[in-house]
Amino acid sequence: MAEFTTEPVGKSVTRIDMYDKVTGSATFADDIQFGPGLYYGRLVRCPHAHALIRKIDATRALELPGVKAVVTGADVPKNIGLYLIDRPIFARERVRYVGEPVAGVVAISEEIAHEAAQLVEVEYEEVPAVFDPVEAAQEDAPLLHPDLGEYEVANFIFPKPGTNISEHFKLRRGDVQPAWDRCAAIVEGTFRLPQIQHVPIEPHVAVSLWEPSGQVTLWTCSQSPFAQRDLVAQSLDIPHGSFRVVSPYVGGGFGGKAGISMEVCAVVMARAVKGHPVKLRMTREEEFIGTTVRQSLVAHTKIGCDSEGNLLAMETQYYFGGGAYNDYGVNIARAAGYSCTGPYLIPNVKGDSYCVYTNQPIGSAMRGFGMPEIHWGIEQIMDQLAEKIDMDPADFRRRNCVKSDETILTGMKMPPIDLVSCIDKATKAIDWGKREAPSAPHKKRGKGIAIMWKAPAMPPNPGSAAIVRFNEDATVNVSIGAQDLGQGAFTVLAQMAAQALGVPYEWVRVSVPVDTKYSPYEWQTVASRITWSTGNAVKAAAEDAKRQILEIVAGHWGEDPKDLDIKDGTVFSYRTEEEISLKGMVIYGLPNENFEGWTGGPIVGQGRFMPTYVTNLDFETGQGTRAVVHYTVGAQAIDLEVDTETGEITVLRIASVYDVGKAINPDLIMTQIEGGAVHGMSSAFEGLRFDSEGHPMNPNLVDYRISTAADIPLEIHGDYVETPLEDGPWGARGVGEHVMVPTAPAMANAIHDAVGIRFNDLPLSAERVFQALQEKRES
Amino acid sequence: MFARPGLPIFDYVKATSANEVVTLLREHGEGARLLMGGTDLFPNMRDGRLHPRIVIDLKGMPGMRGIVHGPTGGLVVGAATTMNELVAHPAVRAYCPLLAYAAASVASYQVRSRATLGGNLCNASPCADTSPATLVLQAEFTLQGPSGERSVPATEFFTGPGQTVLQPAEFMTTIRFPLVPAGACTTYHKLGRCRSGDLSLVGVAVLGYPDSGLPSGYRFRIGLGSVAPTPIRARLAEAVLASHAPGKESFVRAAEEARSEADPITDVRGTAEYQRDMVRTLTIRALGDVWAKLKEAK
Amino acid sequence: MANHTITFTVNGALERVDVPANLTLLQMLRDKLALTGTKNGCEAGECGACTVLVDGEPTNSCMMLAVEADGREIMTVEGLAPEGQLSPIQQAFVDHNAVQCGFCTPGMLVSTYGLLRRNPNPTEEEIKEALVGNLCRCTGYVRIIQAVQAAATQFAGTEGGA
Repeated sequence: MAEFTTEPVGKSVTRIDMYDKVTGSATFADDIQFGPGLYYGRLVRCPHAHALIRKIDATRALELPGVKAVVTGADVPKNIGLYLIDRPIFARERVRYVGEPVAGVVAISEEIAHEAAQLVEVEYEEVPAVFDPVEAAQEDAPLLHPDLGEYEVANFIFPKPGTNISEHFKLRRGDVQPAWDRCAAIVEGTFRLPQIQHVPIEPHVAVSLWEPSGQVTLWTCSQSPFAQRDLVAQSLDIPHGSFRVVSPYVGGGFGGKAGISMEVCAVVMARAVKGHPVKLRMTREEEFIGTTVRQSLVAHTKIGCDSEGNLLAMETQYYFGGGAYNDYGVNIARAAGYSCTGPYLIPNVKGDSYCVYTNQPIGSAMRGFGMPEIHWGIEQIMDQLAEKIDMDPADFRRRNCVKSDETILTGMKMPPIDLVSCIDKATKAIDWGKREAPSAPHKKRGKGIAIMWKAPAMPPNPGSAAIVRFNEDATVNVSIGAQDLGQGAFTVLAQMAAQALGVPYEWVRVSVPVDTKYSPYEWQTVASRITWSTGNAVKAAAEDAKRQILEIVAGHWGEDPKDLDIKDGTVFSYRTEEEISLKGMVIYGLPNENFEGWTGGPIVGQGRFMPTYVTNLDFETGQGTRAVVHYTVGAQAIDLEVDTETGEITVLRIASVYDVGKAINPDLIMTQIEGGAVHGMSSAFEGLRFDSEGHPMNPNLVDYRISTAADIPLEIHGDYVETPLEDGPWGARGVGEHVMVPTAPAMANAIHDAVGIRFNDLPLSAERVFQALQEKRES
Repeated sequence: MFARPGLPIFDYVKATSANEVVTLLREHGEGARLLMGGTDLFPNMRDGRLHPRIVIDLKGMPGMRGIVHGPTGGLVVGAATTMNELVAHPAVRAYCPLLAYAAASVASYQVRSRATLGGNLCNASPCADTSPATLVLQAEFTLQGPSGERSVPATEFFTGPGQTVLQPAEFMTTIRFPLVPAGACTTYHKLGRCRSGDLSLVGVAVLGYPDSGLPSGYRFRIGLGSVAPTPIRARLAEAVLASHAPGKESFVRAAEEARSEADPITDVRGTAEYQRDMVRTLTIRALGDVWAKLKEAK
Repeated sequence: MANHTITFTVNGALERVDVPANLTLLQMLRDKLALTGTKNGCEAGECGACTVLVDGEPTNSCMMLAVEADGREIMTVEGLAPEGQLSPIQQAFVDHNAVQCGFCTPGMLVSTYGLLRRNPNPTEEEIKEALVGNLCRCTGYVRIIQAVQAAATQFAGTEGGA
């Protein structure tokens, strides 16, 4: 480990949290010690997909020794939600998915709480349920939210009361009808994706303490402590200033720890036993269906191009199966709507993106936020179009992919990016165009490509703030509300602070845990936005601190601050070459001549960043001046083999290239690329399964399998290009989600190249591939 | 549907003698469960399928662990021998490596530190990895109970999914593997949903050896796992190989027979049809694998 | 239901604890000995976040009763190196950037230690096979495998060193 890294931006410095994590001393939510006063909670979960609650009787549960309280929906009259306030904290009147919490039991041990939970008696009256989003969007479908019209909703989300449609985003550009006639090739398809789950290795844990004084604390593994504070404060009528959210290290988030799921239940349960902290933790089975999932999708997409391969028209309908509550999911449908073309320039577009209530687990933010779902179909159609006009799929994409300054589907200009270089590098890395022999006669080998784009999907005003403070020895504390989920946020932010201040990287600490009582505000750690947004805030805070220091020293030396700078923790003058160490002076200031007074004092730098230029979009057309802040783009190329005797797929090589603007820490980009490639590959084989009545069939790691060390591609070739982002710190933009978006469609395209079979539906499996091969043989 | 956190409350006893075990089993009946590796017992307790009053740990009893040579050759394996122990034991590798192949395919290294041969067999999941091997190796299981000791051949032990001939208050102490025929070569092929670590969707254990008494010159024993209510010997497939010289053609014919002998069910892991097709694929591969070994040995 | 008094060593230190029969080794380590480095990821023997060494063998501590630890030697991630130092395996994870969220890391390190003790020179296939029971959702395993390979080259030299 280096002792002293100067100007660390652009260098692959060691992660700042590495030591804590390799020694096992990093504290995660379940590791925090609370002492003998700690109580434990367990949730009573309903067994029906859709039912009215007739009666809840907790008498027997309350009689069990050691039980301290039972709470139900009757104790919490208000809903909770992010963009659409549609979710009861404990079910009231009606349950809408198997596993929905109807009561919470608090006891002196988890064992007793569990036993008591079995004793809570609930009477249900089942009502018809609906699971398919297209079915659920129809007029005559069973209605999950009769009161949809009364829910508070953000001004950019448009639910349709009287239906199960919680959001409808419309994109209208040009005129598709006449455009079809000009197409030489048109491809149409319906694509289906199941719900999948984040499967963080750390299941959700929340501990809450409601003090008799009215101070409330929530300790939880959270990507969004401030958003969680906001939502819970509003629902439970707690003044923001009295509610504190503390988030230690997060053992994997992927979006699942971003919104509110089970955490608020812990707060309600704590309210019933004031003065005692209550710990609520999810078993892995509950993690699968009782927290949140990625929404399902049924996509009908039609795209056409002319004989030269120019894309002319696209018509698409996205039906996202949002699950029982869509408070976060509505924004996914919206984001899919305003990015519905994928990273392509298509002059005539008609897109309708719906978020639909279904009696399934709650769909919410998951890595990619709608992009993996829609690219699954788009990228396969692009391949099919290329085939129809006899054009190489990579060339087809080079021709049509969006380029800097071009006007995209919402009417905004594409900020500078270089997707073509990403395509070039990815294809080169797997020897695109060269047909290579499989490793055995019963195997077939194929190559495929997919490209992607994604913008941070946020409200127009998501803010970041940062504070930079010094210690007496000139080490620096950076306080932020952003979280490190493993992506390396703390590290790159420390690098940026060090660079902007002029101190070595090793002098910078990032204050953990994130604590809304002490940390400055951060909207959420989502959307791959932290390097960019919090980075700007940290840079601003560091520059603010530096400005203060230079003013003080300049005054002390009788110089102009413009002639001074800081390097490696020493202030120096370009003009006189005088030097002074930061040590001490950053707290105590400097004495005037002959000790006639002092100048300066404790240096605290502050900074914030909030984009100012995002505009609303027209409800009918989706057009607007600036839909999003920016896009990150990338390409993946895959070389794989299909075992024709079993259907098993072996991924030989994945090449994955992204335009990151500026690699603040190049190796951390590589590790995101590697992790994302495996996550993307795994996601193609994953799917939550339910029986005909909505009961989950595989909410466990035995039957919901994620990639193991034995499943990974034989080679992963990661690379990046750097087209600076105009308002990115050192030009940087995010990449944490993007790295898993195109993997599944790239695999589908490679499978087609290998065996000539298309898969429109996920999940893939050896069995489906084998059966498709059989059918092909027989026909 | 929702597994509980931790395990339900029960008593624990570390048994030191067979008598003790039998007494406790008779006393508690269904309220007692035997503990070997716990790799099936614990998930069943978390799922609420089992809630014993008392758990009887057999691992410490004399004779339950360890591998010794049998009086007439072959091996005697204590029921509490773990999968990792089987994989690593020089006698297993030397005298019946098929057992090591099967044991090595179970789950992960960590699970194999706990999972035992006896537990795997007595739990009698249709997809157990070691049970087809015991059929093919013609193993005999020693059972201990109120009426004393008895020996049951593997082929008669399994009666249905999760069901065996074990009587109440009876438990398995050792598994005897007779000497394999001279020149025997073996293999175990397993298909899971992912490359490694999964339960078996289809398991095929094959043992083959030169047998001049047969028209084909070779006898093959084929054990199928996960594709019937119990592990089975694919007798029709074996008959094909008894009368037709080994080679791709006879292997395909035999695999077709094996396919027809399989009787899988569709479940969350795979359809019956796919499992049947994979019996064919894996049987061809396993036979080819063993044949290659036999040729090399010649 | 009476408690059982058990005696065992953890990371070289002798401990005596009273435990109910249904307490798992994982629960005992975390809740009674405050050794929170070992993690609870599934309680089903699938994810490996709870991996510890029992008499040198990587074992899912969620799938073992605390009472079964009587007379055994347990090693957790906290025992890989003396305080303040990093073992060669840990250092290799650092050098190869093999950690992201860190939740699977203790289990990975302990599994690796068990592997290199029994097989100081594993092939890439053997490493993958040995780590099949340690799930990671962040890294894609690439750096972890590299770190194990790097640690192996050092391990062969050190007797008993982690």
